[in-house]
Amino acid sequence: MKRFECLQAIAPLINDELFVTTAGGATNEWNAVRPSDGNIQVKTLGLCSSIGLGLAIGLPKRKIFIFDGDGALWMNLGSLATIGLHQPKNLIHICWDNKQYESSGGEPTAATAGNIDFAGIARSAGIKSSRAVNSLEELKDAVNHALKNDGPHFIAANIEAGRAESPPLKYDELENKYRFIRYVEATEGVSILRLPQSASYLLK
Amino acid sequence: MGTIAGAQNILAGLKGAGIDLVASVPDINMLQLLNLLYEDKEIAHVPVGREEEGIGVCTGAHLAGRFPAMLMQNGGLLNSANGLTTTALQFGIPVVLMIYYAGDIGDNAFHMVGLVTEPVLQGLGIKYIVMRDPAKVKQEIAGALTLANSSKRPVALLLTRAVL
Repeated sequence: MKRFECLQAIAPLINDELFVTTAGGATNEWNAVRPSDGNIQVKTLGLCSSIGLGLAIGLPKRKIFIFDGDGALWMNLGSLATIGLHQPKNLIHICWDNKQYESSGGEPTAATAGNIDFAGIARSAGIKSSRAVNSLEELKDAVNHALKNDGPHFIAANIEAGRAESPPLKYDELENKYRFIRYVEATEGVSILRLPQSASYLLK
Repeated sequence: MGTIAGAQNILAGLKGAGIDLVASVPDINMLQLLNLLYEDKEIAHVPVGREEEGIGVCTGAHLAGRFPAMLMQNGGLLNSANGLTTTALQFGIPVVLMIYYAGDIGDNAFHMVGLVTEPVLQGLGIKYIVMRDPAKVKQEIAGALTLANSSKRPVALLLTRAVL
């Protein structure tokens, strides 16, 4: 299965969940399939899983999706142990494993040889709801399960390499951040930016 | 190890400033402070395995509306340099970096890390204070958070043994 088909298959299951998407093709493709201010892009390879963990701890009642890749997860494999330690119930971590550094030109990763079992590593790190999926039906079943049950959840999706045609991102990282924050403020009823009042207004 | 009084002073400074989430990687000199954080009910304490993870956790926490800080040794500052650059600085994320200053004058370990710490912060464009006076701790933590929020950047506090 291809990543774009996977994203199209799970988009109808999604409501107002928040998405942290890895530096790579998953970001462009997800924003093409499901444009939303609830999507935040990541520029640091490997850091999406840690950012997603911070969001999940900060918003414990909101479901948080992480879209990771095999090269990115290899770079921050320790994040699985950290997620396993903290057990965020609302975290759904999907690794799109195309067995290459697609954004860097297709070089091999730790997953290329087919020896690494990301779902097994996640399970052994304490993420009990962990599974590998190889078809769209298995993927949809795993996502539905994750949406309906407490996590943390980890899904290793074995996909074919290759990108779908998708437009460039509409917003750079700063505009994306502000729109994401405003979306969280509006949907959670909280104030995040909390700009201070000008000093002159504080004069008696 | 630090002292209990020093740790209590810093914890009070964190709370007084409004910091409500601390990610951490330990150092022996912050043991007392970490012991307090493990027991504290007001501040969410998020131990991580490597400091760059902590920059990610603090970023996510900010996007969720928290006021985060990252507690680490200065060796960990070096470990987190890419996350600081391409996430915290590039996206404009306010986070207070609480960094134990190994290799400072009078410290007998990690002198190379001590040598490069301030030049690295300067190179990253991260403003910092070297904390040497326990009486100023609360004011300096509050000031660091104010500047982090207004500049939407990380701000660093270098913790010496004098304040721990």
